[in-house]
Amino acid sequence: MRNTSMDGTDPSQLFDDTSAAPGVQPTGFQGQGVGTMGHPGRTLLSDPMSNLAMAYGSSLASQGKDLVDKNLDRFLPISKLKYYFAVDTVYVGKKLGLLVFPYMHQNWEVSYQQDTPVAPRFDINAPDLYIPAMGFITYILVAGLALGTQNRFTPEILGMQASSALVWLIMEVLVVLLSLYLVTVNTDLTTIDLVAFSGYKYVGMIVGVVAGLLFGRTGYYLTLLWCCISIFVFMIRTLRLKLLSEAAAQGVLVHGARNQLRMYLTMSIAAAQPIFMYWLTYHLVR
Amino acid sequence: MSGFDNFNTDFYQSSYSVDDQGQPAGYGHSNTEDPYKQGQYDYSQPMGYSAPGMMQPQQPYTGQIYQPTPAFTPSPTQSMYGSSFDDEPPLLEELGINFDHIWQKTLTVLHPMKAADGNIMNETDLAGPMVFCLAFGATLLLTGKIQFGYVYGISVIGCLGMYCLLNLMSMTGVSFGCVASVLGYCLLPMILLASFGIIFSLQGMFGIIIAATIIGWCSFSASKIFISALAMDGQQLLVAYPCALLYGVFALISVF
Repeated sequence: MRNTSMDGTDPSQLFDDTSAAPGVQPTGFQGQGVGTMGHPGRTLLSDPMSNLAMAYGSSLASQGKDLVDKNLDRFLPISKLKYYFAVDTVYVGKKLGLLVFPYMHQNWEVSYQQDTPVAPRFDINAPDLYIPAMGFITYILVAGLALGTQNRFTPEILGMQASSALVWLIMEVLVVLLSLYLVTVNTDLTTIDLVAFSGYKYVGMIVGVVAGLLFGRTGYYLTLLWCCISIFVFMIRTLRLKLLSEAAAQGVLVHGARNQLRMYLTMSIAAAQPIFMYWLTYHLVR
Repeated sequence: MSGFDNFNTDFYQSSYSVDDQGQPAGYGHSNTEDPYKQGQYDYSQPMGYSAPGMMQPQQPYTGQIYQPTPAFTPSPTQSMYGSSFDDEPPLLEELGINFDHIWQKTLTVLHPMKAADGNIMNETDLAGPMVFCLAFGATLLLTGKIQFGYVYGISVIGCLGMYCLLNLMSMTGVSFGCVASVLGYCLLPMILLASFGIIFSLQGMFGIIIAATIIGWCSFSASKIFISALAMDGQQLLVAYPCALLYGVFALISVF
């Protein structure tokens, strides 16, 4: 029976080890139903059908993984994204200060190094994605907190706030992209840059809402006014160098329809920020 | 994309070697890491680090561990654990639960001021974090809040977010298991907060101060472990902030 057909069995063994040698496959298949002790996991693999299934399944899984890797890189350029997260604490601190008080800063040029922009770590004028991402998440949490203090909190509201803010962000970036296309501006602003610039307003929104929580409506309005003006100045000064032509960016008055269009475009992008800031926060502070 | 493979293997296989930073007690397995060069998966690693202690008496099966075998072999050409019952590794070792390591990591979390060692996160151990999550849920249960679902959901979302962020911010990638493991271990002070909540209500000023202290403690420990393991310089506060947001949400559950 089972014992006699197994080769290499130690006579002192009390049980059949069906995991051992490959030559015992057929009998091992019949024998494994009865509880063999010792290696319960191994009996699964000694069954040829389940081996096939496992091999097929694992190859399918690795194929799926390759597919995901290939396509993910098409939609989300991971290496480009990594550039925007190459930040350190000093940069983040200075940038936050700049977002709230941009009036003293003199040099707004982004420095380059052999045609590629320098990482944000080394240049305070470079856009990054850490602050917008953290700002977005903090905004959602602060919104939840604000609604909670007014006893209007449910977990669904967090999801609603998050999705509405995200939708407004996407729409803003799309409108800016469309207008850049229509005005035919030759600029090296990428989509991710635009997302970064649009995300900087969350900092001002958070400061406004927190001030509203601590000091009431007057505190909210005062800080929001300050932050709106700051972000307006910040955007104008940053975008001016990227959108306007060289001469106009220097401050020289250059006449011509195209330059006027570009100036209007810069001003409208900058003016959209305070509008969004007010729109997304006024219902949080009562 | 070969570059993406780095994200899946544990980070200690990258070129940055933390092994050179002295030999801490109990972690002398740096010399066993050379055989682990080609795409292993987590299954074989927990056996690896306890193998040096077992090297002498149990020759037959430890030799098998260092072979880079694929996940499921179509035929069991040789048995992984020898052919007799005596050669089997103990159950805890087979499961990868090493109480000594769990204790070491817990002590690292509990002493936030002591510098962390980069080696300790070399094996992704989810047994400790599981215990801590369940203990957190149990202490919340003792205060009358049945919120295992929220704890689970928030921890999954938080781990995903930290995984994406750390992969984007660090030079070497991290695996998801490592992130989950670190975040789970640093949940330990939260259990303390929840147990305070059993004794007295946390909704006063005193409770808010304690909650803020414990959030700071958790996120400081987590960021300390992350930056020592991933060699990120000048970014500790940047890593601590999202951890603080995550633990803040846990504290919100405990307090309200």
